[in-house]
Amino acid sequence: MNGWLWGAVVLVAALVPLLWVCVRLPAPEGVVAVEAAGVDAVLALLLVAQGTGREPFADLALVLAVVSFVGAIAYLRFVEALRD
Amino acid sequence: MLRDLVVGALAGAGVAVQLLVCLGVVLMRDALDRLHYTGASTLGAACLCAAVVVSESASLIGLKAILTAAFMLVTGPVVVHATARAIHLHREAQR
Repeated sequence: MNGWLWGAVVLVAALVPLLWVCVRLPAPEGVVAVEAAGVDAVLALLLVAQGTGREPFADLALVLAVVSFVGAIAYLRFVEALRD
Repeated sequence: MLRDLVVGALAGAGVAVQLLVCLGVVLMRDALDRLHYTGASTLGAACLCAAVVVSESASLIGLKAILTAAFMLVTGPVVVHATARAIHLHREAQR
């Protein structure tokens, strides 16, 4: 375990409270938490890539950045139309 | 050495900013209050990518880190703006 991997552990641990926000609070708050969790997971994957020296993890980070952007936009369409 | 010091400072700052983002999103009361903190995570991404690039001057991981940071620099404000608009429309529809 080097410093990069400890940083990744900290970032993954920070995902847990965001998951709680997604599950327990109404939809607008949940979407905000999903966006924050996406950035958090991308940075954790980047730190894992640097810490283990395996660059395929950096590919995963890049793909997750793209996918979480598209996913956030898609969820926002639902939040706009939601009336409850 | 100087390089290790710079890398440590940049990586520590990036992780700290990201932790503050998570703390703000969890602790604030309103959805728009929470949204203020997600915008700041672009800074954390920039710090961490700079740390990766500085630690190995020219590597494939550094190149992909730069690509990821550039993509997040562009899409971060777009997502925050779209989220604020969607929350506003959601509240208008509820009224």
